[in-house]
Amino acid sequence: MATVAPGVPTGPYHAVLDHIHPEPTSFIRKYIFSIDAKVIGIQYMITGAIFFVIAGMLAEIIRTQLLSPHGAIISAATYNSVYSMHGSAMVWFVVIPLLTGAFGNFVMPMQIGARDVAFPWLNLVAFWIFPVAGVILFSSFLIGAPDAGWTEYPPISLQGPPGTNLWCVAVFLIGISSTMTGINFLVTMYKMRAPGMTFTRMPLFVWAQFATTPLLFIATTALGAALAALFIERVFGVPFYDPKRGGSPVLWQHMFWFYSHPAVYIMIIPGFGIISEVLPTFARKPIFGYKMIAFSSVAISLLSFSVWAHHMFTSGMVPWLQLPFMIITMVIAIPTGVKIFSWMATLWGGSINWKTPALYAAGFLITFTYGGLTGFFLAAVPLDYHEHGTYFVVAHFHYVLYGGSIMSMFAGIYYWWPKMTGRMYNEKLGQLQFWVTFIAFNATFTPMHWLGLLGMPRRVATYDPQFQFWNQFATYSSYVMALATVLFFYILFDSFRNGKKAGPNPWGARTLEWMVSSPPPYYNFKKIPAVLAAPYDFGNPLPYLGLDAAPGATEATPTSVSHPVPTY
Amino acid sequence: MAVSVASHGHDAPHDDHGGHDDIIYNETRDMRLMGFVLFLVSDVVLFSSYIFAYIYLRNSIQPNWPPIVNGHQLPRLDTAFAAFNSVVLFGSGVTMHYALENWKHANKGRFNLFMFFTILLGLGFLGGQAYEYAHAQIGGWSGNIFGASFFTLTGMHGGHVAVGVGFLIALWIQAQRGVYTQSKFFGLTAGTLYWHFVDVIWVVLFFLFYLW
Repeated sequence: MATVAPGVPTGPYHAVLDHIHPEPTSFIRKYIFSIDAKVIGIQYMITGAIFFVIAGMLAEIIRTQLLSPHGAIISAATYNSVYSMHGSAMVWFVVIPLLTGAFGNFVMPMQIGARDVAFPWLNLVAFWIFPVAGVILFSSFLIGAPDAGWTEYPPISLQGPPGTNLWCVAVFLIGISSTMTGINFLVTMYKMRAPGMTFTRMPLFVWAQFATTPLLFIATTALGAALAALFIERVFGVPFYDPKRGGSPVLWQHMFWFYSHPAVYIMIIPGFGIISEVLPTFARKPIFGYKMIAFSSVAISLLSFSVWAHHMFTSGMVPWLQLPFMIITMVIAIPTGVKIFSWMATLWGGSINWKTPALYAAGFLITFTYGGLTGFFLAAVPLDYHEHGTYFVVAHFHYVLYGGSIMSMFAGIYYWWPKMTGRMYNEKLGQLQFWVTFIAFNATFTPMHWLGLLGMPRRVATYDPQFQFWNQFATYSSYVMALATVLFFYILFDSFRNGKKAGPNPWGARTLEWMVSSPPPYYNFKKIPAVLAAPYDFGNPLPYLGLDAAPGATEATPTSVSHPVPTY
Repeated sequence: MAVSVASHGHDAPHDDHGGHDDIIYNETRDMRLMGFVLFLVSDVVLFSSYIFAYIYLRNSIQPNWPPIVNGHQLPRLDTAFAAFNSVVLFGSGVTMHYALENWKHANKGRFNLFMFFTILLGLGFLGGQAYEYAHAQIGGWSGNIFGASFFTLTGMHGGHVAVGVGFLIALWIQAQRGVYTQSKFFGLTAGTLYWHFVDVIWVVLFFLFYLW
């Protein structure tokens, strides 16, 4: 590595970084079975978007059913299958693959100054498991879709329709894919960072992916074990969960939530990473509390392994165990609060450039904080006794999953769209799309808190007529959300046709992916740059040495030192 | 050229002198080692989950162990035979260690001998397990929670041993075909690690099912 300046620490892994693969020429190897992490990231994104649309339609079926207290359109049995599949698809086939597989693959290798992930072939296999598993999941509708909720608690799931077996297989497969991705990303981030990129110089999105990987390859395996046991109990009659035969339904809950609580952090920590990239870029300010944001991700990741039983306060658990689980759950609010306040301090006094990603990031701050607060309520054992299994819980996790994960994904897609495609989206329509989504989202889910507090149970196809007004209100609002989603896809298609050329760095951002042309060349960097500092010091010169203008890039460093303003 | 994640290219822009492939090999070997160890960590969680399930079912559901099924007290497992079978498996761990050491010291003849015994002992362990399965009077896999935990956990372990035997045979063939050299033998390292991993899991299972 002759390009490294004096004083830049160099690791031992640079021959690999210096190595450039020949670019494949055939269509199949370039776009279908590609080993390029950027292509795989976009493949994840397209596949996840398709599943998002399907699972979103299931959500609209749920809402339409609830227009009438007696159930407007479908039978109670079908309703059970519909909400089970909606939850399963959204959790495992939309949010997790999009935040790790899609954004992680597209952004992370470029942000650490690498050409690809550590195991490109493993990456290819991990991606292709995803659509196959998705097809298996949705084909369960043909033989009777699972009907015990996305959590599939036994003994109901033991008696569930045959599609429950397909559900087990599909989720098991996507778990294998997650495990592969987790191992692949951790090795990539640990071994393949550009020279000079110490841990405390990594972009915060990379830190977020770094904190997520142990959850992916440790917790997911526990889910695989639970699913395999459910499968063999259903198919071979081996008793694990059936209380009539000495098994224990609560055992499933332990194994399931040992995965699924960490999984909620798989679904939010990468979102934190996106927000941490978007906010300083649009506030034109160094991020506040870089190390605190980075380390709090790791703290959340570690703590998340010791809180699973807060989902089980009403399941029959030794009372003295409830207290530590309640306290540790509440302790997670501390690192999360550290992040929220750091982001607010980042915005404070900045000359905020309210483009769509910034709007989404600000929207995220509001809705995610709201969802986090209701989560804090639910962690309290007495309140959980009252609210468990009601719409309050539904409202809570939609505020963190839609208001947190999906909002951060919208922010991320708008933010990196110019990098992926080389074209800008229509900014006015983007902002309109944000406002419609934000308002309709809150109108859909805020009333559910009230319904839950009044005692409306979740997962039931009918309800007491006194709840009708707010249910109808939520349903009509959810239709507006659906329209906003249609608008979102229109904006993306419109950008292909009418979008302005973006140039390498339309936002004036400072992380490494913006230092190459848009869309990036196959090998990302012709020469691997050396990194001198963390990337958020807006107003200072870029902390990179040896950046080489990639072919097609008009400028290698589009943000000039003296005028750190966006160039769009 | 050895198998390596980043060594398909022939147009590396610089460092194209003689040692380039060696450097790339060493760097990708470290990555693959880390990836493989992380895979084993993930596998530990898989076993831990079922071990947790076994302990959970045993402790909180059935205070009397082995359980009484339909008024019939199930017998304990045959500890003496399992101890003998464990010695067979641990013996294969020892021979695998010496196989790798002899490879590092370029002692091909002894490497072959120790590989042969490792595979033989591995197959012997599987045979012993099959014998034990045929003679265990605990009501079969799907009979009760004792059979469910025992056959699931030991069966999963046996599956790992079977995969390991296949892995070792493949490595042995690769070694005969000259894929590995005295300095480039990552496959053998991974195979040894995996084999020791399977041994360690068995120590835990042996304690849980035969001594507890």
